[in-house]
Amino acid sequence: MEKKVIKKDALAGIVKKLAGQMPVYAPVQDQDNVLFKILEQGMEPMLDFGNTRNAPKNCFFPQAETMLKYFRTERGRELAGVVEGAPEAVLFGVRPCDARSFILLDYVFDDPKYKDTYYMERRRKTAIVTLACVHPPSTTCFCTSVGGHPMSSEGADIVLADLGDRYLAESLTDKGAAILKKFGDLANADDAALAKKKELSEKSEKEIKSIIPGNDIKPWLDANFDNPFWDTIHKSCLACGTCTYLCPTCHCFDITDEVKRDGGRRIRSWDSCMSWLFTQETSGHNPRTSQKERWRQRLLHKFRYFVDNYHAIACVGCGRCVQYCPVNIDIRKIVTDISKL
Amino acid sequence: MHTNPYVPIPVEVAKIITEVTTKDIKTFRFAFINKEDEENFNYLPGQFAELSIFGKGESPIGIASSPTQKGYLEFTVQRAGTVTSELHSMEEGTLMGVRGPLGNTWPIEYLKGKNIVVVGGGFAFTTLRSLINYMIHDDNRSQFGNITVVYGAREPGLLIYKDELALWEKRTDLALNVTVDKGDADWKGREGFVPAVCKDVAPSSENAVAVICGPPIMIRFTLPVFFDLGFSKDNIYTSLEMRMKCGIGKCGRCNVGHKYVCKDGPVFSLAELDKLTKEY
Repeated sequence: MEKKVIKKDALAGIVKKLAGQMPVYAPVQDQDNVLFKILEQGMEPMLDFGNTRNAPKNCFFPQAETMLKYFRTERGRELAGVVEGAPEAVLFGVRPCDARSFILLDYVFDDPKYKDTYYMERRRKTAIVTLACVHPPSTTCFCTSVGGHPMSSEGADIVLADLGDRYLAESLTDKGAAILKKFGDLANADDAALAKKKELSEKSEKEIKSIIPGNDIKPWLDANFDNPFWDTIHKSCLACGTCTYLCPTCHCFDITDEVKRDGGRRIRSWDSCMSWLFTQETSGHNPRTSQKERWRQRLLHKFRYFVDNYHAIACVGCGRCVQYCPVNIDIRKIVTDISKL
Repeated sequence: MHTNPYVPIPVEVAKIITEVTTKDIKTFRFAFINKEDEENFNYLPGQFAELSIFGKGESPIGIASSPTQKGYLEFTVQRAGTVTSELHSMEEGTLMGVRGPLGNTWPIEYLKGKNIVVVGGGFAFTTLRSLINYMIHDDNRSQFGNITVVYGAREPGLLIYKDELALWEKRTDLALNVTVDKGDADWKGREGFVPAVCKDVAPSSENAVAVICGPPIMIRFTLPVFFDLGFSKDNIYTSLEMRMKCGIGKCGRCNVGHKYVCKDGPVFSLAELDKLTKEY
């Protein structure tokens, strides 16, 4: 595929122009946070940021979305329409860890038997432009421990690397090549640019100091569902759900109906295994009675069950759950502690 | 037909049967609005569907009719939560939705050529009824060996499918054992708990498979009876229930270990359950 270079000061303008032609989700400053949002007329993306507060999963799997609408008739309630369809779009400025999360989410939503129509339509029509981490954004980054790399192109249609004085832009898919054309006339990348990227890539990997034995704990997890260790990790947990909402790979959702006078809509919204309601049954029975069982579920889902089903850990090492947990529960420490048992 | 798995198939409530004296368990017969949907709804006993009422939500319920009964679907539903209460207040002719068929089936191919013991308790008899009607259908009966049924309820008024039980009673190709925990003045049948009746009936484990559904307390005391009779864990099947939303393995709440009850179940052998985490 194509390899081009973009002048350092030209990139923001190119993306701004692209946003005039099609929806572009990109990192933007929003009060104290950097968030993925649709660029509005004349807006430029942020290029100098660590990582966004929210994971970009909301572009394909919004926090809340209308699935279908219904209306009341004399004979009951009938389907008024299904809310389907998505425009071609660009998701710009995704960090490699977050780009990788889409490959993991695809396992769930692009299941051979049941395709999730809503997720898949947006996913198919959206090109992902990754902004490689020439410096790991945070001390909580641990992508290299769970199968990722700070300069990885996995999951990307285009990958951009900041070489200091210019960006190297590489298209990896047909979808990426088509978007790269829209970037305008760009010079071909020279050998110096490619060599520089390689150098930065090796340096960046070494800068990730947070290393956890993510792949090593599976045998222990397989054998220790009832281990007393599970009594030790959840005690300070407030069940706030921040970890699951910010997690790029958490995909659990709820389906609820909204009622208005003449009809309403069926809505899908993010849900969290940290809540007791998540598994509460009408009979009163709940298979996960305390925060202990819920925490065990969260950890086992990511490091055991997902591995059993899809041969990959459902964690990309972005570190958001570590950074934003209000009581400082650190999944890196839990995994490390398990590896010592 | 929608390829979107979240869009319910439109159906009409064609018939409602109040099954029990407490009136909180009813069987709903649904007729398809579109012929095409009816033709595409291919299911086997053991599967379930999401009963979908716009404005209320969805509830996963086992299919109580057999695929040999053409033209309609039946579900036997206890009034419990929001959706099932709305369903119970419905009248014949009301329009609603069904999303399915979902989940796996009783292991029909494995059951063929074997003697089948069906054990049900309370109103957890719905997909078992589907299985029995499937097996005793003229097209299928010769493919199965002896069929023994043990079905129990707390009292006579709580037995479901009474008309059908009377028909089965008359058959010579099915050994039906109906029991109640405690009978009333009119009750002429068996009294006793399901595990005790199973012990008494003592079906042979020779080339046999037991299919067991009921409240946890019944299952707990029935399993040792079958182990004593020589049934291996590979030859005892049951069906699990969990809170569900999507029914297609995506919303993440009905897992037992790495299996989703909605997609990988609800039917599991005891041998399969032994390999999963004990969280249900």
